[in-house]
Amino acid sequence: MPVRVAWGIQHPMSGHLTLYLDVDGDYVINTEPDVGYTHRGLEKTAEYRHFIQFVPIIERACNFDASNFALGYARAVEALMGVEVPERAKYLRVIAAELSRIMSHLYAQALLSMTGGFETMTVWSANDRELILDLLEMLTGARVTHTYIVPGGVRADLPEGFKGRSEEVLSYLERRIWDYYKMLFQNKTFQDRTMGVGVLSREEAIELGVTGPNLRASGVDFDTRRDDPYAAYDKLDFNVVVFKEGDSYTRALVRFYEIAESIKIIRQALKDLPEGPVKCKVPPALPKGEVYTRVETGRGELGIYLVGAGGNRPYRLKISAPSFRNLMGLIHLCRDVPMGDIPVIYYSFDILLLDVDR
Amino acid sequence: MELGRLIEEARAKLGSDLLEAGGVKPLLLRVKPERVVEAASLLKQRGFNHPLSVTGVDYPERKEIEVIYHVSRLEDKAVVALKVALSRDKPSLPSLRGVWPGVHLHERETWEMLGVRFEGHPELKRFLLQDDWEEGVYPLRRDYKLKPEV
Amino acid sequence: MSLPIPTPSPLEPLIPGLPPLPLPVLPPPLNKLVEFIATPDFIKLAVDLGLKLLLFPGLTFIMLYAMLAVWAERKLHARIHLRIGPYHVGPILGLFQLVADGIKLLGKEIITPKEAHKLGYHLAPLLIMVLSMTFLAFIPYFPIGEGRYWTIYYTEYSLLVILALTSLKPFIMILAGWASNNKYTTMGAMRAAFQLLAYEVPLMLSAASVVMLAGSFDLAKIAEAQAGMWYIVPCFLGFIVFFVATMAEICRRPLDIITAEQEIVFGPWTEYTGMEYGLIMMAEYVDVAVASFLVTMLFLGGWHGPGLHPLAWVLIKMGVMSVFFMIGRSVWPRLRIDQLLDAGWRKLIPVSLIQVVIALLLVQALKVMPA
Repeated sequence: MPVRVAWGIQHPMSGHLTLYLDVDGDYVINTEPDVGYTHRGLEKTAEYRHFIQFVPIIERACNFDASNFALGYARAVEALMGVEVPERAKYLRVIAAELSRIMSHLYAQALLSMTGGFETMTVWSANDRELILDLLEMLTGARVTHTYIVPGGVRADLPEGFKGRSEEVLSYLERRIWDYYKMLFQNKTFQDRTMGVGVLSREEAIELGVTGPNLRASGVDFDTRRDDPYAAYDKLDFNVVVFKEGDSYTRALVRFYEIAESIKIIRQALKDLPEGPVKCKVPPALPKGEVYTRVETGRGELGIYLVGAGGNRPYRLKISAPSFRNLMGLIHLCRDVPMGDIPVIYYSFDILLLDVDR
Repeated sequence: MELGRLIEEARAKLGSDLLEAGGVKPLLLRVKPERVVEAASLLKQRGFNHPLSVTGVDYPERKEIEVIYHVSRLEDKAVVALKVALSRDKPSLPSLRGVWPGVHLHERETWEMLGVRFEGHPELKRFLLQDDWEEGVYPLRRDYKLKPEV
Repeated sequence: MSLPIPTPSPLEPLIPGLPPLPLPVLPPPLNKLVEFIATPDFIKLAVDLGLKLLLFPGLTFIMLYAMLAVWAERKLHARIHLRIGPYHVGPILGLFQLVADGIKLLGKEIITPKEAHKLGYHLAPLLIMVLSMTFLAFIPYFPIGEGRYWTIYYTEYSLLVILALTSLKPFIMILAGWASNNKYTTMGAMRAAFQLLAYEVPLMLSAASVVMLAGSFDLAKIAEAQAGMWYIVPCFLGFIVFFVATMAEICRRPLDIITAEQEIVFGPWTEYTGMEYGLIMMAEYVDVAVASFLVTMLFLGGWHGPGLHPLAWVLIKMGVMSVFFMIGRSVWPRLRIDQLLDAGWRKLIPVSLIQVVIALLLVQALKVMPA
């Protein structure tokens, strides 16, 4: 007889999401998510803010990957205004965005290993994330929510000593992630817990609108950085990591390889950094019109639909957040699974409720 | 298939109900509310099966609410915006869940924030807002004002 | 027919020269007890038991062991995590952490959930602590000459008694889980019952191989029989199986799915706060001590070893085994419940059966070989 269990907020491992599970014995028959715990009404707030004032707010739409969200917003505003940022700013944006992506993926890996009871990997990943946070603090002044990428460019130039320090950190991280590979991805128990769990086929992934590393783990070769390029990504050389199996193990593995790719991208960007200004003048008001642009954040593809009405406040700002789209995949997959798989599937999708709720 | 041919096909199929078509990225198609399911099926047949977002915009001076579906086709990375204008008094639209399963949650959110009824959607209930939010108050409409200190 | 009227029997006075004590007159079985209490033998027994219950293996030993074990486990866990661990409390970097935690837990309110079964709810942590400490009563720790051993209760079937008592643990967990009036705890208790029952079979089979080699259920005789060669050598498979099975019985990682935070908060023990929670945590460390003692007695030769006092050898071996139990917590991820049961039934039982066969063959070979 199914019992309704709230895998909910007052729970050590659920994050901000409540999942009402209908459980029969040990098997979950159906799941109903209850979101809205962190709903802050960001879209409505955008209609009341100057478009520059909204930059810190959009970063809070997803704390752990802040620069990519700010980059999405900046791309939308610049597309609406028809402004082209200087070259140096584009490369600096890439550096901030990729550091933010590494930060997000390391955190996702930390949470996923915690579901397996593997606290050691959690603490090691969080430990190495501290190095990236220190780099970001050197670059932008803040550890987590940077407010560095604004419409028109970036706010400040590279500080002294950043190139040397970042080379140290990146070469350390490059060697270190192979330790993670041996400890986590080649660990038989972790493989038993995640291989074959939560398999999402290619058609299902596309039709449900799943995005980001989850889509690439199911065999779809799509990455907004390569296919709809922005910032300096069209001039940089990187691989898009695609696997076929679509289970939790491959989703985690895609994120792992993306860390390695991000390290490559940052190195190239630092080497090819052109001279020039880092910011250009931006008109004081949003022109009339509308635009839909997208960027690739750590969790997936962020789409921003911006309607301008001539003032300096957006008329309508819609954030199509990656975790919102991935939530469809989670609901679809949590059927007929043993209850021990629910946290594994949830964290392998890397759904953070902050951007579901906005 | 190029987007020009897509516009031709849509015009052929929908005739005068296709109100506007053009643009490149995203390609814009504006249809009347009655023909939206057909337009969506045409798009799906032509390979647009990856839903990106569903947006609602409130235009009180035009007395309409505009619902926009963004979908993409992964083979050539094209994006289409399917727009429908609904009357502001009773905005209602057939649900496109049958065509694109991924819009289930998006439509639920649009109903909650703007009051657009999606006919045939099985689960139009509270999603992001708290459970004791008043009925009939839709926050994203322009006449819902936030308090002054915001 | 009326019962015979009891007459007081003449007894020796305890202190010579004093008149005999006036004793209460009780019906037949009880008057033997009263007589016994007034004899010097009783005082000797009381002193002996008191020493054992209070010092070793009783209260003081448990407290000291728990303090060291908590400190060692948290330090090891932290060092593997590249952290420091308890740092502030105590003479050497956090040694008194257990004392600090204990004082904190004493100060917390003991909450009873609404509509919980009060008697069962409050009884369960006491029972689990009592059960864990009862195991310590049957293990012979070291010989004190002339065929006698330092143990609280000496029986020739001590191993059998201990293995039988482990079967009580699932019942107490089910009591705790059900009495808490909580879906999570009931589910956790069911999982606990499955896990503990499943792993008793490999536990007993691997112990059986040792029993066959030693020829007795008595832990003292088993330890004595390892004077020449520790049983870990012929019974290596049994050692591995026993180690894993005890890890499951005491619910340590990687087999602690029932207290997995990730899904069911803390399993059957979710609702406990304050000192009841403290008792449950202590019971877990006492369980580790018992498991280490058992492994020492069964496989590692008990108190045999050159040079040091037998008690020192027992404590050293038991300490090494405790460290192995603790490292398991940091190094391995958790198994899911069905993978755990699968490992128990399909992988451990065949291995322990092979071990039993090896032990049988060895016993026959030893009988046939000239002494």
